[in-house]
Amino acid sequence: MKLIFEKSVPGRDGYSLPEDQFPKMNIKDFLPEKYLTKDKKNLSEVSEVDVIRHFTKLSKFNYGVDDGLYPLGSCTMKYNPRINEKMASLTNFTYAHPFSSPDMVQGSLELMYRLDQLLCEINGMNQFTMAPASGAHGELTGILVMRKFFLDRGEKRHKVLIPDSAHGTNPASAAMGGFEVVEIKSNERGTVDLESLSQAMDNETVGLMLTNPNTVGLFDEGIVEIEKIVHGKGGLLYYDGANLNASLGINRPGDAGFDVVHLNLHKTFSTPHGGGGPGAGVIGVKSKLIPYLPTPIVSFDENLKKYFFKDVGPKSIGMVRSFWGNFAVLVKAFTWILSLGPDGLYQCSKTSIINANYVLAKLKEYYKPAYDRYCGHECTLTGREYKKYGIKTLDIAKRLMDYGFHPPTIYFPHFEPYADETIMIEPPESEGKEILDDFIKAMIAISKEAKENPDLLKSAPQRTPIGRTDDVLAVKRPILTYDDELKFKD
Amino acid sequence: MRYIPSTEEQLKEMLREIGVSSFEELIDSIPKEVRLKGKLDLPAALSEQELEEEIGGIAQKNADFYNLKPLIGAGAYRHLVPEAERALLQREEFWTCYTPYQPELSQGTLQSIFEFQSYISRLTKMEVVVPSIFDCASAAAEGVLMSLRLTHRRKIIVSSLLHPHFKEAIRTYIEPHDIKIVEIPFHEGMTDIEKIKQAVDEDTSAILIQSPNFFGSIENITEISELAHQKKAMLIQVIAEGMSLALLKSPGEMGVDIVVGSTQSFGLDLNFGGPYNAFLATKKEFIRQIPGRIIGETVDRQGRRVFVMTFRAREQDIRREKATSNMCTNHNLNVIASNIYLSLMGTEGLYQCALLNTKNAHYLEEQLLKTGNFEKIYQYPYFNEFLIGYRGDIENLNMTLLEHKFIPPLAIQSFYPDKELENALLFAVTEVFTKDELDKIVRILSK
Repeated sequence: MKLIFEKSVPGRDGYSLPEDQFPKMNIKDFLPEKYLTKDKKNLSEVSEVDVIRHFTKLSKFNYGVDDGLYPLGSCTMKYNPRINEKMASLTNFTYAHPFSSPDMVQGSLELMYRLDQLLCEINGMNQFTMAPASGAHGELTGILVMRKFFLDRGEKRHKVLIPDSAHGTNPASAAMGGFEVVEIKSNERGTVDLESLSQAMDNETVGLMLTNPNTVGLFDEGIVEIEKIVHGKGGLLYYDGANLNASLGINRPGDAGFDVVHLNLHKTFSTPHGGGGPGAGVIGVKSKLIPYLPTPIVSFDENLKKYFFKDVGPKSIGMVRSFWGNFAVLVKAFTWILSLGPDGLYQCSKTSIINANYVLAKLKEYYKPAYDRYCGHECTLTGREYKKYGIKTLDIAKRLMDYGFHPPTIYFPHFEPYADETIMIEPPESEGKEILDDFIKAMIAISKEAKENPDLLKSAPQRTPIGRTDDVLAVKRPILTYDDELKFKD
Repeated sequence: MRYIPSTEEQLKEMLREIGVSSFEELIDSIPKEVRLKGKLDLPAALSEQELEEEIGGIAQKNADFYNLKPLIGAGAYRHLVPEAERALLQREEFWTCYTPYQPELSQGTLQSIFEFQSYISRLTKMEVVVPSIFDCASAAAEGVLMSLRLTHRRKIIVSSLLHPHFKEAIRTYIEPHDIKIVEIPFHEGMTDIEKIKQAVDEDTSAILIQSPNFFGSIENITEISELAHQKKAMLIQVIAEGMSLALLKSPGEMGVDIVVGSTQSFGLDLNFGGPYNAFLATKKEFIRQIPGRIIGETVDRQGRRVFVMTFRAREQDIRREKATSNMCTNHNLNVIASNIYLSLMGTEGLYQCALLNTKNAHYLEEQLLKTGNFEKIYQYPYFNEFLIGYRGDIENLNMTLLEHKFIPPLAIQSFYPDKELENALLFAVTEVFTKDELDKIVRILSK
């Protein structure tokens, strides 16, 4: 499809501005020429109609949750309720300037304050900060809080333990926080090997980062032991909330001894992914870590009956961003929690767990599971059996597109010998039984095709707007802007 | 429940198919000690109407911001947002999808990001554009970390006129890495170049300058870039007001190595501070050290031009602790918003809009000075934001402005305790003001 630049016609425009009421003012009268651009910066010249058609057409090349099942493991692609969007678009919220006086933003502050209370109850924590912009941003914030906690106590701890099944962001965040990463092997049950953990956990280690259920979708039943081992050596437990959708109203990370949790509001709490954000990666901590949170947090003055931004104090790690948080995202998560209540939240987790186990039960004879036991809200199958037919997991995923589904997460998690060629399927609660049955049928059909007609898979997808892409060429011949393309054409 | 399609009957049927007699069996691996006893202590579910009343009621406790025009900017600017952009952003295909890991089902997102990269490249005259880091503060911090990876040096020089939040975030990000940070004081509202000269040395990784800076003044980037490059340090320019790019000389023409810029002004609402977006633009030679995601052009099996995420070997899902950054989710939807915005504004529209900002701001300043109630503190060139001293009582000024539906300017003292700034106000004036409104502001403040 043409780029917007290729639709440009000199002299065409699509903007609306008030008339210039200072036609006699010359820019050079108040800005020396040396600061100014010599020529107008060339963007594009298209009309409003052109723009509407261009982006409408582009949108049709995308597949979203509203188009059908989007079973990406560890991504929790659930339905994004419309009422959330409406609440976040109230103009008293959207036009609020972040430096307005507290009197003018009592509503925004109240919403942040009450969201904190709801999240504390759901997770068993004592205080949340709304600052982090994404899950990884929350991880970094959490890691820095843990670091500051130990520094403040005069303890020099320089290592972080991370299971081999963890999301890539965990080790990356720990490294950004200045820590050495020590990988903990998973055992034959798919969970943290307690012996390895015991050996690695010492008084030079800040603690363990854990997702539970983990990235294979398995609840780490050793959590009680894990807690004892980590806390026993004075360490802290960090909870990666990417997989919280299995736990609402069932178990709370705080009750299992986690000291810091980050939540991806754009996963469990239904705020949309936006094709890669913006989300919000809020973090919650136990009381002893509150003094280290990023500053400020929202507080309530009982005497004045007013909300206000409170400075966290001298031990705070400081700010991790400008302003206060991804507010519009917070409104959506708040709306969602209120729309479900305690029973609805529990029903979400219950349904998502049943969904994942249903898919697992139906598909395990076709795609060998990484671990054959009941899973949480996602299940991890593998495409290993099809290697002998020359079929890679990637081919299975691409073929699924021809059946009208977005593929699951593939090749993650990856750790030998159990989890390789993985297909991680997460069917959240917003997927009903019928669509799961259709998906299961498609997966079974593909397993037959893999044996009988592997070319169908290798040449897939055929029914998408484009075919498979040459990713090697993209690096070898980097075209990163339209002007690169023009140069390349010359 | 309206968001959960399967009925209890269907769930039971699924449990039977799984081969268990109850849901409890599935979660048997969760130890009893860590199970929640009873229910979550939360308010009961609200119907849609109750939600509207409840949350609408909370929103009512805010000021009626739609009808209040801000004379404050300081890193968050109210500009016009075209209706066509708002309408296009309603398309679910843009906002209910995931990160474009599967290019066959994500060309809409991918091509849109590529177009945005091209726009930013043209606005900055930089070759490589990372389209999305959360905001200008985190992007500036990522820029610093990138310079440290490239130079292997241990010191950074930061202008005191960087947005205070950006400065704080940079300090937070580099704190674990044992890096020396030198803050350069300002002189006459601009970063003191003499002091930079004294500070820059062979161990300097980068000099960070915001331009227009926090006071709104346009810095002498070319001169500072020469100082940086004499010592083989990198120059990072931070741009908090993206709109200025339409009018001002491009960073690429002034020798800047890394540009970090907010695109909040390109079609994003104020939203009480977020989510916004910032880009990080640099030279091709540094591509292997950039943080975050970038989109490139390639071909599909049929030889058609297509777009993919590229230079992925730097990213966290592949490199784990050796990744250039931990970034995964960014602010992609805001990239699409800004791409639509820039397409609508186009070459002429963005230039005219920027021009209107500069004219409005300079007109207001001139008129305020004429009232005799205001005084010039510094002489410096600026885009749409300026510092001015007020001879009266700031509390009264705030009240007067609010009475007339204007959000007051920022009292700069809250961030800069300097004596000379005691009564200084930071005004931002964008295209949302008409001349009549500016005249009205002058009138009510001349009393």
